[in-house]
Amino acid sequence: MIQCKNRFSRKILATALSAIVASGMTALPATSLADETSCSPFTPLIKGQEDLVYVWTLGVEGVGDGSDKLVTVDVNPKSRHYGKVIDSLSVGGRNEAHHVGLSDDRRFLWGGGLDSSHIFIFDIYSDPAKPKLVKIIKDFVEKSGGIVGPHTFYATPGRMIITGLSNNKDHGGTTAHVIYNNKGEHVKTVHIPTAELNGVKGDGYNYDVAINPKKNAMLSTSFTGWNNYMMDLGKMVKDPEAMKHFGNTSVMWDFKTMKPLKIFNTPGAPLEARWNWGKGQDFAVTTAALTSKVWVYMQDNKGEWQAHDVATIGNPADIPLPVDISMTADGKGMWINTFMDGSSRYWDFSDPLWPKEMFKKKIGSQVNMVSQSYDGKRVYYTSSLLGNWDKKGQDDEQFLKMYHWDGKDLKLGFEIDFYKEKLGRAHHMKFQARDMKSLKPLHAEAEGLDNLRVVLNAASAQ
Amino acid sequence: MKRLPWFAWSGIFHSAWVYAIGTPVQLDPPLGLPPLSIPAANPLTREKIDLGRRLFMDRRLSHNNTMSCAMCHVPEQGFTSHELGTAIGMQGRSLRRNSPTLYNIGYHLSLFHEGRELHLEDQVWGPLLTKVEMDMPSIGYVVEKVRLLDEYKGQFEAAFGGPVSAERIGHALASFQRTLISGNSRFDRWFYGDDKSALNLREQKGFEIFMGKGRCATCHWVDEKTALFTDHKFHNTGLGWERSMFPERNNYKVQLAPGIFVQVMGALLKSFEPPQADVGRYEVTLDTKDRWAYKTPMLRNVAITRPYMHDGSLSTLEDVVEFYDKGGIDNENKSPLLMPLKLDSEEKTALVAFMNSLTGDNLEALTRDARSAPVTLPVLSKDAADLYMDAVLAAP
Ligand code: HEC
Ligand code: HEC
Repeated sequence: MIQCKNRFSRKILATALSAIVASGMTALPATSLADETSCSPFTPLIKGQEDLVYVWTLGVEGVGDGSDKLVTVDVNPKSRHYGKVIDSLSVGGRNEAHHVGLSDDRRFLWGGGLDSSHIFIFDIYSDPAKPKLVKIIKDFVEKSGGIVGPHTFYATPGRMIITGLSNNKDHGGTTAHVIYNNKGEHVKTVHIPTAELNGVKGDGYNYDVAINPKKNAMLSTSFTGWNNYMMDLGKMVKDPEAMKHFGNTSVMWDFKTMKPLKIFNTPGAPLEARWNWGKGQDFAVTTAALTSKVWVYMQDNKGEWQAHDVATIGNPADIPLPVDISMTADGKGMWINTFMDGSSRYWDFSDPLWPKEMFKKKIGSQVNMVSQSYDGKRVYYTSSLLGNWDKKGQDDEQFLKMYHWDGKDLKLGFEIDFYKEKLGRAHHMKFQARDMKSLKPLHAEAEGLDNLRVVLNAASAQ
Repeated sequence: MKRLPWFAWSGIFHSAWVYAIGTPVQLDPPLGLPPLSIPAANPLTREKIDLGRRLFMDRRLSHNNTMSCAMCHVPEQGFTSHELGTAIGMQGRSLRRNSPTLYNIGYHLSLFHEGRELHLEDQVWGPLLTKVEMDMPSIGYVVEKVRLLDEYKGQFEAAFGGPVSAERIGHALASFQRTLISGNSRFDRWFYGDDKSALNLREQKGFEIFMGKGRCATCHWVDEKTALFTDHKFHNTGLGWERSMFPERNNYKVQLAPGIFVQVMGALLKSFEPPQADVGRYEVTLDTKDRWAYKTPMLRNVAITRPYMHDGSLSTLEDVVEFYDKGGIDNENKSPLLMPLKLDSEEKTALVAFMNSLTGDNLEALTRDARSAPVTLPVLSKDAADLYMDAVLAAP
C-alpha cells in the first residue's frame, strides 16, 4: 500500500542537474538547504512558498480527545484559511509523539512515538491538505531486536533510517539505528558502537543522523534512554543518578557500509545533526543540550574527520538547553533555540570555527523546534520538547508561531494556541506543497544515489 | 533469629485448598541464609516458577505494553535500577521511591518501603494497577489480557490445573520472586563457613565496626547461624523527614557531563514537578510515632544495588557511611538508635569494604535465569477489553 517509487528517477534528476550545469553552476543547486532539508538530501524540496505545515502533536490528558495527532495548518498567505488549522488526525493513545520524517519521494510522512515505539505512516500526497493514516507499525521493538524509541526518520533511496533512543532491557540509552524499507518492513539493525575506536569508547547512545552523500559520511549524535526522556525535567535535573546517563559521544560513519569511522567525545547530549553543503565547506554541526556547546565537524588536510568545540550558547549553569537548530540556505547562518528561556538565537556561521550570536528573541515561555522556508524568510516555531520535559502550569504554553525574518528582526506572522484549539503539545513540523509537481529535485548527486541504491539493497539481503 | 510462624496464607483473594500439581521444588538455602518459608497455599513448583518468570519479564503486562516488572527491577542492575534515584513508570510518571532490590525478597516479612503490603502473592497488584507504574485498567482486564496472549496458552493449566485467574497470576509471580535467593558471599564463607581467609583484615575490621562502634547491627541484624541484615522494623533516619519538610533547595549540584558540574538555582526549576511528600510508615498506621519511618533493608548484595535509601538519595556506600557517622538527620521522630559515631577515615573505609563483601555467589546465574524469558512478544491485534466484548456478545 505504501510501496512508493521514487518519482525523482535518475533520469529526471540527471535532467535537472544538467539544467543547473547549463546555467553555469556546478554539480549541485546553490549551497545548502534550509530546514526544508534538515531531513534528508534524498527528499525533493519546496523552494518557493510552502502551502502546508504538518505538526506532529502530543495528546495531553484532559485537552480535547487527549490523543496524539497530526495537525495540518494552511500557511499559504493567498489562502483564505491562512494561519488556520485545516485538519487534525488523531492516531489514538499518547505515544510520546516526537519527530516525523518525509519519505524519499515526499509522498509519505513517518511519525514516531518515543514511548509506545509505534510508527505512524501518513499518505500526504493523495490529498496533502487531508493526510491519511495508512499504516501503524506496532512491532518495531520486536522486529528491531529490542530497540525502543524511534526518533529520527531520515529518508535514503527506498529506505528509511530510523534512529532508536533506548532499549527494552533496561530503558537506558544503549541503542541502534534501525533501517526500514519504504513498505514499512524491517531491513536491518545497526548498533551504536560501545567498544573503543580511535581511542574513544563508544557509549552506545543515539539521537539524530544526517548524511552527506558526496562525502559518504553519516554523522550520528546521542541523547539519553527512555528513563530520562520520559521523566519530568525538574525531577531529572535534581536526580544525580539520572544525570549520569546522557550520551557523550557522536559518531562519523561510512554511510554506504554503515560502519563507524570515528567516535568523538562531545559531552553532554549532542542532539540535532546538520550538514552544511556550502561549496567546498562540507562541515556538520551539532549542539550539546546540557553543556551548551556548539560542535563543528570538518575533515583535516589528511581527510580525517575532526570535531571542534567552537562556541558556548548562553550560560551553561542556567541550563539553557539548546534544542533544535536550523542552517540557512546559504550556509552562513544558523538558528538555535534554547528551550528554558524560550528564545531563538541567530548565529553567524560565515566562519564555522568562530560562529557568533547576532540576534536573540523570546518566542514564548518555552520553545523547541525551528523550521525555516528555503529562502529563509519565514521561520516557524513550536513549543513542545517532550511530554514530561515541557514546563508545567502557566509556563506550559503550546503553540505554532510563524515569523517573518528580514535579516534583522523576527516579525510575528501568525500564531496558533494549541491548547485553545484543544490539540495538545505542538512538536515537530514538516512542510508540504499542495501541487506535488512543484517540488524540486533532491539534493543528492546522481552517481551517489545510484551507488546507494545498490548498497542498501545489498544490506537488505543480509 | 526468632522467626514468626508462617500462618497459612490468606490474601485479598479467597484461596481454596490447593492440590499438589506440577513438579515440586525445594529451595536449599545457601550458606548464611535461613530456610525460606513457603506459604502452604502456594507451594513452589517448577511450572509456577517458569510461568512467574515469563510474567515478570513480559512488557505486555502493562497497559501500553512498555513496562514489565523487570523494567524497574532490572536483572543486570541487581533487580533494582541503577540509573534512577526514584522510579519512573507508565508514560514517564514519577514515583516517590527507589525501586528496591528483589534479591532475597522471599525473606521479607512486609513489603514496600513502609511495609504496607504483607504477601508477595498480593503485592503484584500494586504495580500492575497503579497509574504511575503499569497502569492496567482493572484486575479483570489483566486476567483477560493474559488469557488472550498466545504464549500463556496452557501454561496456567499446567501450573495450577485451571485457567488464568487473578490469584494464580499472584501465585506465579510470587513463586518466581522467591527463587531470587542469593547468599554464600565472602562474608558468609568467613563468618559461617570455615574459610578464614575469605575476608581480608580491613573487611574483618569493618565487620567489627558494623557490630560494635558503628551500631549498625542494632537494626541490620546478624544472627548466630544466618544473617538477613534486617530487624524487619521501621525506623526514622531523618532522610524522609528532610525530604518532606524541606523539599526544595536553593540550588542543586548538577552533572552536565562526566566531570562537568554546575550549581543550578532551584528557582530555575519552579516550572516543573515539585517533589512528592512521603510520610513513610505513618501512611499505613496513622500513628504519629511512625512518621518518616522506613523498613530496614537487607544489606546482602548492597554493593550492586545502588542508589540507596527509600528515595535513592545516597549514591554510594561511602555516602551512606557519612550519613550514619553524622547520626542521621535530627528531627523529633528520629530513631534513638542513631547518634554521631565519630568514625575515623580508616574505620569508614573498613565499613564500606565489609559491605562490599556481602555479594552473593550466584548473581550472574540469577540474571541469566531471568533473561531466559522473552521481553518483547507480539501484542494483541485489538485491545483486550474489545476482544472480550466481541467474545461475550458473540456468545449464544
Ligand atoms: C515503575 C517501576 C516499577 C515497576 C513496573 C514494578 N516495580 Fe516493584 N517496586 C518499585 C518501587 C518504586 C517499589 C517501592 C515502592 C514503595 O515502597 O512504595 C517497588 C517495590 C516492590 C516490591 C517490594 C520490595 C520490598 O523490599 O519491600 C516487590 C516485591 C516488587 N516491587 C515486585 C514487583 C513486581 C512483581 C512487579 C511487576 C508486577 C513490579 N514490582 C513492578 C518499582 C516498580
Ligand atoms: C536505627 C536503625 C538503623 C541503624 C542503627 C542503621 N541502619 Fe542502616 N538502615 C536503616 C533503615 C531504616 C534504612 C532505610 C532508610 C530509608 O529507606 O530511607 C537503612 C538503610 C541502610 C542502607 C541502604 C540500603 C539500601 O538498599 O538502600 C545501608 C547501606 C545501611 N543502612 C547501612 C548501615 C550501616 C553501615 C549502619 C551502621 C553505621 C547502619 N545502616 C545503621 C536502619 C538502620
